[in-house]
Amino acid sequence: MRFFIIFILSFHISVANADEIYNLLKIPNLEIYKLKNKNNVRYLNAKGNFKIGVDDNITCNKTKKTNLDEKFPTVEKNIKRYNSTFLKKIDLKYIVFCEGLFVSNINTGGIPDNKNRTLILDINFNEKYFERMIHHEIFHMIENSYEDYFNENKFTLFNDTDFEYAECSTCTNRLNLDLYKNTNGFLTEYSKSIPSEDMAEIFSFLMVNKNLIEEKIKKDSILNNKVNFIMLNISKIDVNIL
Amino acid sequence: MIKIIKASKLEKILFIFLIFLAVAAFTSFVLLKNKCLFIDNNDLKKLNFENPEDIAVMNLECGNVIIELYPDTSPKAVERFKILIQKEMYDGSAFYKVIENTFVQAGDIEFGNIEFLDYSKIGSGKSGLGLLKSELSDNFEFTEGSVGFARSAEFDSEDSEFFITLKKIPIYHGEYTPIGKVKYGLDILKKIKTGNKAIYVLRPDYINTFRLLESN
Repeated sequence: MRFFIIFILSFHISVANADEIYNLLKIPNLEIYKLKNKNNVRYLNAKGNFKIGVDDNITCNKTKKTNLDEKFPTVEKNIKRYNSTFLKKIDLKYIVFCEGLFVSNINTGGIPDNKNRTLILDINFNEKYFERMIHHEIFHMIENSYEDYFNENKFTLFNDTDFEYAECSTCTNRLNLDLYKNTNGFLTEYSKSIPSEDMAEIFSFLMVNKNLIEEKIKKDSILNNKVNFIMLNISKIDVNIL
Repeated sequence: MIKIIKASKLEKILFIFLIFLAVAAFTSFVLLKNKCLFIDNNDLKKLNFENPEDIAVMNLECGNVIIELYPDTSPKAVERFKILIQKEMYDGSAFYKVIENTFVQAGDIEFGNIEFLDYSKIGSGKSGLGLLKSELSDNFEFTEGSVGFARSAEFDSEDSEFFITLKKIPIYHGEYTPIGKVKYGLDILKKIKTGNKAIYVLRPDYINTFRLLESN
């Protein structure tokens, strides 16, 4: 039996590329990109491809240095808007850069992981939505840390009674991220997927174009209630974010 | 009558070659195999310390590793560390997680003792003394020879496992509870068996004894 365990273990552990960062975050093939930042966020870069998660269902590729150097100022500019106290409250300390991020073969812009205080970002995500995607994913970290504030049942009540969200965000074709001209309670098609994504879309638009949203809610009472809900609960965590 | 036969040039060369082979074999099988060769074992009789009550001596295969504990930096963690040492709970503890020239980790009391290693559970063992709150320090840098309490993904989960860094690891700053620093014996730690590229070590090296200096 002991021999069998050792045999299995020797196979199992031979594939892990162990280093000090892997020991901390359980993501292999990372290197430090920028460690010292005013809000204590630490930026890490995939120096090699990695697979993590249950059955290695999360995959991402290493970054090209020139590509990362080009995208980094945009990321940094947006992350700088969150102070260290707020980031500590939402369990965000590490931002991991990689290219071509997939969860169970579905392409995604980012993966928040509160447990490891990490947000994985795909720097090749559609440039048109890139900045908004950063805040969208950060909202998921916020709601994971403050579930009581962002109660989905409460939030769903703002919608018309005949509206139904999908079962899950990946089991629907409501994926478009463009802003609706006529909002009717929803900013984008993706907002209609599940309550959590609806909230994240509102938060991300508030972060990148608050004035536009303030215009939209003047003519949309449902959206107005939703925006107020998000703003009120975010202000409970930190009054300076929105 | 014995006839003296003079060795030919070729035979002389062959003879020298055989002697060379024998020396090479002796060196590789006897001298080089001894990983502790040329390592100072840090004889305690020759060393003096300012705060002997905060000195711990970890005896390994190649000699003594002398650690200075920092109770002012992490009072609760150092107190726990001393209790575990005094109870001799680290004796036989395996360095099951070793990354070459990076860090060594031991101290799983429940599943990481060399007498009863359990690879399926190693790293999750408890000391029975309960979990500690993390004592993070803004001033403690994890440089070469830093000793820290290991934890799970969450803070406040320190128990008995500890690690010693073999190089400067800036990313650990503010992440782990510091316990102290190695004063002597870093070269001994660098001789601990590694898992090559893997994080876990099969048939690991282990701590012979771990004592506070005053009890030695």
